[in-house]
Amino acid sequence: MSWRKRIYDWVDLRLGVQDLLEQNLTKYLLPRNINAWYTLGAVLITLFVLQFATGILLLIHYVPDQAEAFESVTRIMNDVPYGWLIRYLHVVGSNLIVIALLLHMFSVLFMKSYYRPREVTWLSGFILFNLALALCLTGYLLPWSQLSFWATTVATDAAGAIPVIGDAVVRFLRGGPMVGDVTLGRFFALHVMGLPLLLGLVVGLHLFCVRRAGISRPPFGPDYEPWEPRGSFRHQEHPDGIPFFPNYTAKDLGMICFFLAALLAVVIYAPWLFLPPDSLEPADPFVTPEHIKPEWYFLWAYQTLKIFPSKVLGLGVQGALMTFLALLPFLDRGPERRPAQRPLFVTCFVLGILIIVGISIWGHYS
Amino acid sequence: MSLAKSFLFCLLILAAPAVLFAQDTVCIQCHGAQSGRLGEPVKLWRGSIHAANGISCHDCHGGDPTDFGNAMNPAKGFLGAPENDAIPDFCGRCHVGVKEDYLQSAHGQALGHGGPQCVTCHGNHRVVAASPDLINPRDCTRCHTYGRAEEIKSAVVATDSMISGLEKDLTRLHRLGIDTKELKGKIFSLRNEFHRLFHSVEVEKVRRQTAGFQKRLGKIRGSISTIEDRLARRKLLGGIAVALLVFGGALALLIYKSYREEE
Repeated sequence: MSWRKRIYDWVDLRLGVQDLLEQNLTKYLLPRNINAWYTLGAVLITLFVLQFATGILLLIHYVPDQAEAFESVTRIMNDVPYGWLIRYLHVVGSNLIVIALLLHMFSVLFMKSYYRPREVTWLSGFILFNLALALCLTGYLLPWSQLSFWATTVATDAAGAIPVIGDAVVRFLRGGPMVGDVTLGRFFALHVMGLPLLLGLVVGLHLFCVRRAGISRPPFGPDYEPWEPRGSFRHQEHPDGIPFFPNYTAKDLGMICFFLAALLAVVIYAPWLFLPPDSLEPADPFVTPEHIKPEWYFLWAYQTLKIFPSKVLGLGVQGALMTFLALLPFLDRGPERRPAQRPLFVTCFVLGILIIVGISIWGHYS
Repeated sequence: MSLAKSFLFCLLILAAPAVLFAQDTVCIQCHGAQSGRLGEPVKLWRGSIHAANGISCHDCHGGDPTDFGNAMNPAKGFLGAPENDAIPDFCGRCHVGVKEDYLQSAHGQALGHGGPQCVTCHGNHRVVAASPDLINPRDCTRCHTYGRAEEIKSAVVATDSMISGLEKDLTRLHRLGIDTKELKGKIFSLRNEFHRLFHSVEVEKVRRQTAGFQKRLGKIRGSISTIEDRLARRKLLGGIAVALLVFGGALALLIYKSYREEE
């Protein structure tokens, strides 16, 4: 008997590894008609791991101090071996994560995968989306560039529109009357410790929910029939399904490779895509850049505040939309999941996306 | 952006009255709102190299740019507009080297005898940066024939376009995240020295010194080429990695397809 087999048997006897692997890989069956949209979860986990790894590497050289932050990022980009690659992977990766999260959310909405009993899965996913945006926002300030400073000033200033407590919220976010060293310290702590910790916990909850309730069957094809547990908890089985490993893992791997290829292509050939010129100049509180705009995924919110006559109304509309999305599984309770049978929902879904995209483009050119 | 500007305005009033953003000086607020002779300088200044570099009214004319009452108070250093012959001294407070070369040149020697001073060529308020474009038949023949000026222009134009080309290259590299501060500093200093040379209006001196400038520019070109080579290598290796990932993705999907066919 080889030494590997001996070690394996020893561990298996105590932890039941063989059984664990079978239950979660080879005997874990997925719906036969599962599609490519279901790979986005694996893609997102890979991208989050990449962000975590590149983030730790950046931490080695980054200095979270108003006087040194910009210089330290410049050093990472120019003096640290492969520092440019690490930083660009982190910057472009964060944008790719938002894209993948949006695609994941849209597919879940379109296929109504949030339907009973998966309300908690949806809610945890929605919290993950917001945590990812919060990570993007806090990370934006860290390079202490003109863009960092002014985008954060404008973003935190928006909170001032909240009635009664607005000013206190702005002061709390900034740690003072204006964006400065204290804000940088707060955002740094949140970006590298608070938010990742929370994100890790919610990812764990999300995966637990997915695994516990079972993968939902895509609502397509002649075999479709509504499924929902009655009375007590029931894991959704797919006895005629395909094994997660090696079958569906191959598809996951394929999609991960394509996403990583897209990430690397942007990093190598168009690293400026997500870094406007103002991100290359050190922050100067006394010179306001002419065309400062938030990142593309915040443009809709930025423009919404400008469309409405008062900021309170704009914030109210944004809050109402986000609350509606978060509570959607509790509002849309009908058992029908097939898009073709839900014309009203599909119309609202398409129109909603078009409006958000339209407002974002408007915000970009305004 | 209006929100950010409002924030800045509050910041200036509340926290930092001593530090000024050019657009907010009282000089510009007052003169900018006027028409005719008193408003004209602001309009001209907006299109100047000074405005582009944040040099505002008070930097040349003195006075207190934060206080309407003292903006034109001589006690606060207000100088007003200089007399014609005093213009080289007025501009030379900042452009020290240029003033030195100008005063030694034929142009400088003719000061006070109908000779040109700074604004004759560079303009008044809409100040134009020194460049070979300023040497042209229309402007030079206002005072003398173009022949000698043309000789100077042909002696400097190649070096000047080399400087402009390198500046463009550095801007492009900066956009890619490359730290170009040191090289930009070198070019800036070299360009200023070279433009100072224009002001001597001595063809032989320009020709003699141009070789030295070109040698120094060549060194900067070498540094830029090294960076460009590094970027080209990055693109090649990155391209191979992207191709491998696409190939890996396609292979994984083929494996998945074969599993589906087996089922």
